[in-house]
Amino acid sequence: MDALGINLPGLITQLVSFIILFVLLWMVLYKPITKMLDQRSAKIKESLDMAENMKEESAKSKEDMQKQIDAARTEGQQMIEQARVMAERFREEEMAKARTDIQTERERAESTIKRERDAAIEDLRREFADLAVTAAERVVEKSLDKTAHKNLIDKVLEESTKGRG
Amino acid sequence: MAMALVAFLVLFVVGLAGGALGDKFGAGFLSSPLPHLQLAAEKVTANEQFPGFTITNTMIATWASIVLLLIISFFATRKITEVPRGLQNFFEAVFEYFINLAESVAGRERARVFLPLVMTIFLFIVMSNWMGILPGYATIGRIESPEEFIHHAEERVEKQVKEAEEKGETVDEHALLVSELGNTKFSTFNGEGSVGITPFGSVSDQISAVDYLEAEEHGEHIVPEGQQAGILVPFLRSANTDVNTTLAIALVAMVLVHFWGFRRLGFFTHLGKFINFKQGPIWFFVGILEGISEIAKVISFTFRLFGNIFAGEVLLVAMAFLIPLIGIVPFLGLELFVGLIQAFIFSMLTLVFASAATVSHGAEGH
Repeated sequence: MDALGINLPGLITQLVSFIILFVLLWMVLYKPITKMLDQRSAKIKESLDMAENMKEESAKSKEDMQKQIDAARTEGQQMIEQARVMAERFREEEMAKARTDIQTERERAESTIKRERDAAIEDLRREFADLAVTAAERVVEKSLDKTAHKNLIDKVLEESTKGRG
Repeated sequence: MAMALVAFLVLFVVGLAGGALGDKFGAGFLSSPLPHLQLAAEKVTANEQFPGFTITNTMIATWASIVLLLIISFFATRKITEVPRGLQNFFEAVFEYFINLAESVAGRERARVFLPLVMTIFLFIVMSNWMGILPGYATIGRIESPEEFIHHAEERVEKQVKEAEEKGETVDEHALLVSELGNTKFSTFNGEGSVGITPFGSVSDQISAVDYLEAEEHGEHIVPEGQQAGILVPFLRSANTDVNTTLAIALVAMVLVHFWGFRRLGFFTHLGKFINFKQGPIWFFVGILEGISEIAKVISFTFRLFGNIFAGEVLLVAMAFLIPLIGIVPFLGLELFVGLIQAFIFSMLTLVFASAATVSHGAEGH
């Protein structure tokens, strides 16, 4: 033992020195580093969780947005469809109106034409009666009561129109 | 490149000529003479500080590395931040390396318990090993005068004579003194003073202790004028070249290992590994062997570290003696490596022993 240099005072000194180092390093080095590493890993975990949450949230909001877009699209399509239907109806209404207008216009025109024609016929008939009376006066050379005469002619014309028509 | 090669060759040739080999051919002007090597740490002062206690150079080296370690760790953790910087980064890297290692060996929970000891062992051993090869270690010290050295030798002889007389034997006191002095050689230092640096010079500058004694007895002075003879007792010597240091670390490690064993397994379960009556005589002897192996662990811890570092010191001294200037350079690198590896081995074995001690045999077997 002596030749190796092992002696009690030396051994005790080294033991005490090493234990002091152990305790002091524990206080100065291990405690703060352990604390810091734990703190950091907790923080990392927290931020990872947060990132996960945010990812989920963003996925959700993206989905929401898609849904909204889809809804807007269908709404828009509906509106277009509605407008198309309305336009169609409007066109048809307009066309029907135009058609009836044309119809009434034509009827009016027809009635006017008929009336004009009747009036013309009436005029013609009157002219013709006067002419016939004048002609008959000349033929008969006898002055007849103009009114009785006219009645007579009317009667003849009436009969002829009836017979013709 | 060519310049470096030339410089290297010049240094090599000068070193070879100036070293111990060149000394045989009349050169040898640079050799640092082989110092007086001894296993026990040298006492730094001539007197005892307390009765039976004298400060040795390994104690001073131990305290130096402890103080340096504490200063570095203090600065590393003084302004500890979540985003690590500088020294904090370095210590965190070492810390994480060891905690990962410990977790892979002992699991998460026990790793936290074992880590402070494992890291303290690693840091202290690597720090003192690396500091031990710094210049100034083993080269600057007190000059122990020849009178002091011979006086110590005489004291030892007196003791032996007394022992011999008690047994009724007669001994030749002078012959005993000569054998006690052995082939110790005094170095010569320039000038006065009690503090010296390892001198340069030839091996032939050294003075044999026996020659010195004889010269003194005849009233002659063989020490040249203006010089003094003596043995250099370095103020600093690599802490782990002292068996006391390595034994102290090994004892702390093994005591804590068994403390953890008792605490985790319970007193009787852990003790039952070593003193086992329950399973018959074979298991009793196995228990005894286990107990012996625990003591063997302390011894192997102690002498593995001590042997490696002491051998390294001797190697460096021998190379400085053989090829001064550059012979030491590759071995400095080797010693850096050995110092690191030994620190790692010590701490890893502590970790493994600790994780083995905290597992009961029953759990191991099945």
